Amino acid sequence: MGRYIIRRLLYMVVVILVVSIITFGLMHAIPGGPFSREKALPAATLLILEERYHLNDPYWKQYVDYINNVLVPHITTTPPSTALADDCLVNVKIGKVWIRWMNFGPSFKSRSRTVNDIFRDNLPISAQLGTMALLVSVSIGMPLGIMAALKQNTIWDYIGMSISIIGVSVPVIVLGPIFVWVFGVALKWLPPTGWGAQPPYILGFLPSSLGWDFFKHAIMPSVALGLGASAIIARLTRASLLQTVREDYIRTARAKGLHERVVITRHALKNSLIPVVTILGPLFAALVTGTFVTELIFGIPGMGKYFVTSITNRDYPVIMGTILLYAVFLVIANLVVDIVYAYLDPRIRYD
Amino acid sequence: MRKNFVFLSLLVVLSMVITACGGATPTTVATEPPVVPGETQAPTTVPPTEVPPVEGPKVLYQTFGPGDVPTLDPAIAEDTTSIQVINEAFVGLTVINEVTNLTEQGIATSWESVTNADGTETITFHLRNDIPWVRWNGTEVETVKTCDGSADRIVNANDFAYGIERNLNPIVASPYGYLLGMVLKGAADYNNGVTTDFATVGVEVVDDFTMKMTYLAPAVYNLQISGLWVARPQPKWVLEGDCDGAVEARGERWTEPGFFQSFGPYTMSEWIHDSTMTLVKNPFWPGSDALPVPKIDEIQFSMLDEAVAFADYESGNLDSAAVPAADLDRVRADPVLSAELYNGVNLCSYYYGFNITAPIVNDVRVRRALSMAVDRQALVDNVLKGGQQPAQWFARPGLAGAPTMADHPDLGIKSDTAAAQAELKSYLDEKGLTVDQLDITLMFNTSSGHQRIAEAIQQMWKDNLGLTVKLVNQEWAVYLATVKGADTPQVWRMGWCPDYPDANNYDREVFAPNGSSNPYNAAGEPEGGVFWKNQAYVDLLNQAAVENDPVKRVDLYAQAEQILVYTDAVIIPIYWYARNTCTKPYVVRTFGTGGQEEYAKWDILPH
Amino acid sequence: MSQVDQIAKPLGLGGIPTLKKRESLVKDGIRRLVKNRAAVLGFSIILLLILMAIFAPLIAIKSFDTQVLVDQNKVPTWILSLFPTMKPYAQISSAYPLGADYVGRDMFSRIVYGARISLTVAFIGPFISLIIGVIYGSISGYFGGRVDNIMMRIVDVLYAFPSLLFIILLLAFFRSSMSHLSPGSPAYLLSKFDESLGGMFFIFVGIGLTAWETMARLTRGQVLSIREKEFIEAAHTIGAPNLRIMFRHILPNILGPLVVAETLAIPGYIATEAFLSFIGLGVNPPTPSWGAMISEGANSIRSYPNQAIFPALALAITMFAFNFLGDGLRDALDPRLRGTQ
Repeated sequence: MGRYIIRRLLYMVVVILVVSIITFGLMHAIPGGPFSREKALPAATLLILEERYHLNDPYWKQYVDYINNVLVPHITTTPPSTALADDCLVNVKIGKVWIRWMNFGPSFKSRSRTVNDIFRDNLPISAQLGTMALLVSVSIGMPLGIMAALKQNTIWDYIGMSISIIGVSVPVIVLGPIFVWVFGVALKWLPPTGWGAQPPYILGFLPSSLGWDFFKHAIMPSVALGLGASAIIARLTRASLLQTVREDYIRTARAKGLHERVVITRHALKNSLIPVVTILGPLFAALVTGTFVTELIFGIPGMGKYFVTSITNRDYPVIMGTILLYAVFLVIANLVVDIVYAYLDPRIRYD
Repeated sequence: MRKNFVFLSLLVVLSMVITACGGATPTTVATEPPVVPGETQAPTTVPPTEVPPVEGPKVLYQTFGPGDVPTLDPAIAEDTTSIQVINEAFVGLTVINEVTNLTEQGIATSWESVTNADGTETITFHLRNDIPWVRWNGTEVETVKTCDGSADRIVNANDFAYGIERNLNPIVASPYGYLLGMVLKGAADYNNGVTTDFATVGVEVVDDFTMKMTYLAPAVYNLQISGLWVARPQPKWVLEGDCDGAVEARGERWTEPGFFQSFGPYTMSEWIHDSTMTLVKNPFWPGSDALPVPKIDEIQFSMLDEAVAFADYESGNLDSAAVPAADLDRVRADPVLSAELYNGVNLCSYYYGFNITAPIVNDVRVRRALSMAVDRQALVDNVLKGGQQPAQWFARPGLAGAPTMADHPDLGIKSDTAAAQAELKSYLDEKGLTVDQLDITLMFNTSSGHQRIAEAIQQMWKDNLGLTVKLVNQEWAVYLATVKGADTPQVWRMGWCPDYPDANNYDREVFAPNGSSNPYNAAGEPEGGVFWKNQAYVDLLNQAAVENDPVKRVDLYAQAEQILVYTDAVIIPIYWYARNTCTKPYVVRTFGTGGQEEYAKWDILPH
Repeated sequence: MSQVDQIAKPLGLGGIPTLKKRESLVKDGIRRLVKNRAAVLGFSIILLLILMAIFAPLIAIKSFDTQVLVDQNKVPTWILSLFPTMKPYAQISSAYPLGADYVGRDMFSRIVYGARISLTVAFIGPFISLIIGVIYGSISGYFGGRVDNIMMRIVDVLYAFPSLLFIILLLAFFRSSMSHLSPGSPAYLLSKFDESLGGMFFIFVGIGLTAWETMARLTRGQVLSIREKEFIEAAHTIGAPNLRIMFRHILPNILGPLVVAETLAIPGYIATEAFLSFIGLGVNPPTPSWGAMISEGANSIRSYPNQAIFPALALAITMFAFNFLGDGLRDALDPRLRGTQ
């Protein structure tokens, strides 16, 4: 298993390179650039800007420079400075030598920030929201699905599935404002906008305090996001569990006289979780890197909007940074999913 | 067993809520209502109607639009949000009143103008000498000291010159470098890299508190432009370092919290990117007629989408918010909200431009027909509903030099279905075509607001002219590239808001040769936008620029507008913007017309 | 299997299904499907929707693009009793059963016509996804090893693929003024094709890019699990060719969760279509689609909730129908339930 993991991590590098090449190519193929303005910039200014950001270099050189900054660790003796061009995510000092790694470049749109700043400031918030949404979806979805499967075709089944269908067919863009209206404006139980955690974060992404101040901002967006996902989890759990309980070994277990609860939890559940876990991987990656609509509706300063606005602004480093970030999360999530497969079903072997 | 499961799952959900109520140390969050220590429980002997005075700091809660404030650097700012903060932090030579748009004293308390022999104008500005540079030190606002720490750094002419130089310097690559280049002698050459010696630019520092600016022509708007954000002092020592390294050079990061230095009525104390920005009162601002000493101690800005912000306003977390168009009906019918609603002027114009070289719309009759067939009043009443005005011309009333409906009620072009049909018929008869054979495309950038207007106008053209027009939308950056190049479609949508509130900014900088919507190539020929050439128009603008008699000036612009929207019918002026804002009753405020507010004039009453 | 039947039949052993004759899986499945009332309900609803979409011009009251500007946002009285908060400002008109939208178009007619787009997406989406995804995932999961690795890494790349960038690029290229596209060139023909479909072509592209990957991963997971089972081993032993094993043995056993997952993905396709229409990359106005109507209605949800709620309701009903049908299909196609009620 250890070698399998290492091999997968090496493949991850390949995936990232391929994604980066495709993104880089698409990015430069789209009409319009980062400096398109209603009133066009004078030619001299444009030239200077393009020189500064190396946009006049041949494409292959721009790409290689980018990969060099992002993927290749550099060893220097000069300590990091506050200069914009010098911002690396990882700065490790060993003896007298600094190892500096992952410089994603400046943002064209916000000239006093780098992409690293965006990661440091906004990614933790999206991660917090995404994790909570995931928890909500699992804690609503799985029990509903289990209940529905075990009481198939009874009223509990129909109720459970109806709740989940509503969650899926009312999109966040409708559900969100309803929540804001009901709980934020009318009842005033919860603040309609904002997020309860600010930098600095513990370990780079954990909020510094987990009190009511934090949760009162997190409840509505997590539930709005999580409901939709919970529907998928509920239905998948139900379908999969229904399938599993018809297996012969379940019949054997029951025939042996085992308590029904033991039969379900120890035997049926693990094996029925494979489709659910499959979904959870990409779901986690998508949620944690931020969702555009939810963050817009609840005024949450997360990463989600950068995925869309960077394209609108043609902010090349941010485009590359966000897509690569998403790719990394995705690959790692899928790796975890595959490892969990092996745990859930020991018969699964990776050759 | 089944019961256990339901119970277990409920427990999981419950546990989340229970830990949430655990009540740990509250963190300060921007959207929390202010704690006002003065308002304690009134003693029982005091009648309940008495409200004790507010003793704590006065905090105002506002919002910018969604997305981070792009920059606080006056040299490179280009959007209204950045400029709003820059106006509070850095005051210019002159100040443009946010309501009347008149030019008032800024850091310059007096000035004299001299017209030179070669036609240029030199204005000598006398600056006040009592404005210190300040910064937020983490707990309070303090003045910035000179190298030996003995005195405060005072805003002086050198700071102005430095700021202007940075704005024009091509290395800084300011998107608004062209603005000063239009009026200041030598500025355009410096900005374009033709000269590299700043001494050739018409900015002369006579002494610390006197400076002379030389302008290309004695234009009426020179003073206005000189007060804009592009000509503000900047702290050279923060950007480049000073005191032999004791002050570290911050370069482009100088606007980040902790490094930021300013001198205006408010300074920035905190900036959490994408989330909030906090401005605090500068106690060292002595106050002037144009910019009084601020009464509000702290302003917290969130960065919310319009609909979200209004929800926040209704729940009491914001003190003022713009009303989204979809909610206007509800707000007007609500007794509380309607009393808080203000409907006023917003100095922007919305128009559809023509590519007058494209097929079919290359005939002025077609253009006029399309323009007159738009029922502007119906659009304003039924689609926009925000108290906007139907536009008869482009440089809207409210701008300096612009005609108003009062003195030019029949200027420009009006909605007139019969006349539109007549014009179109004349065209069709001559060409021997029927209306079904006309293939016209209307393009706009992707947005639900523009789509609504386009759909309504598409319908109007169908009803009034029998013409079916295709709608196409494009993403903004792609759209910009399209409508400024050879691919410009027949009809395309655009708007314009003032950089400075003068008709010149509209008529010249948008539609004159090489204007924003009329780009020319290096050979001097139109290459995009409206593709328009008209010397009479340009001559009128040149005359109007230096005409000091306000009545004559307005008349000149009126003539120019007549050419723009009727004689040549290069654009369809559609509507003039309005602003709809709700403000809590305890806020005393002014309402800016040019997209900016002046917070130094606001106050919060006890509530 | 048949040998077991022959032994069990005369003994009448309980628990083992007794078959009168050998029914095909499909026939047996249909019989069981018909008995599932919820599934029948779902099927009927979908049938009704299809009929509504086909006969839209007859059912709708007005054309979907007739604007009556003065009638904008008007509502009939029954909506006011449903949403009493609207009473202070809403204007009444009985000509619009579900109310009028922001430019005075009839919501009911637009929902009826909108069924066309939404049903097209609801059928094409799963079609693309199932065909490509299931085949891809089966091959990957069945052969395992390096094949699996490479195929899944390709899926990883496609997951992270910036589809939004790609779609903007496609549209920028195809939807700019026709002046630079020479008639007869493939690009020009594609643009014309897209126009004739009302702008649906790029929605299909967008959905096609994103739809099948999840199905591939799901299928692969299921196949990985199933292929270790004894009956597969048995099939190997008797020399069954791989293809036969995949389609005759593995596929029927994993179809259940796959079908359910696919029916659940349908709202996702409609959401993709809504998002694309919302950012201007979908159907051209004034063609209605439920997704675009929901996005539009979301703007006015506090003032005129009917404009978002009714398209969302239409969507929900369609989802219910597809889900019940999907469940019924899953139950019907489960080989283990053959011969049972």
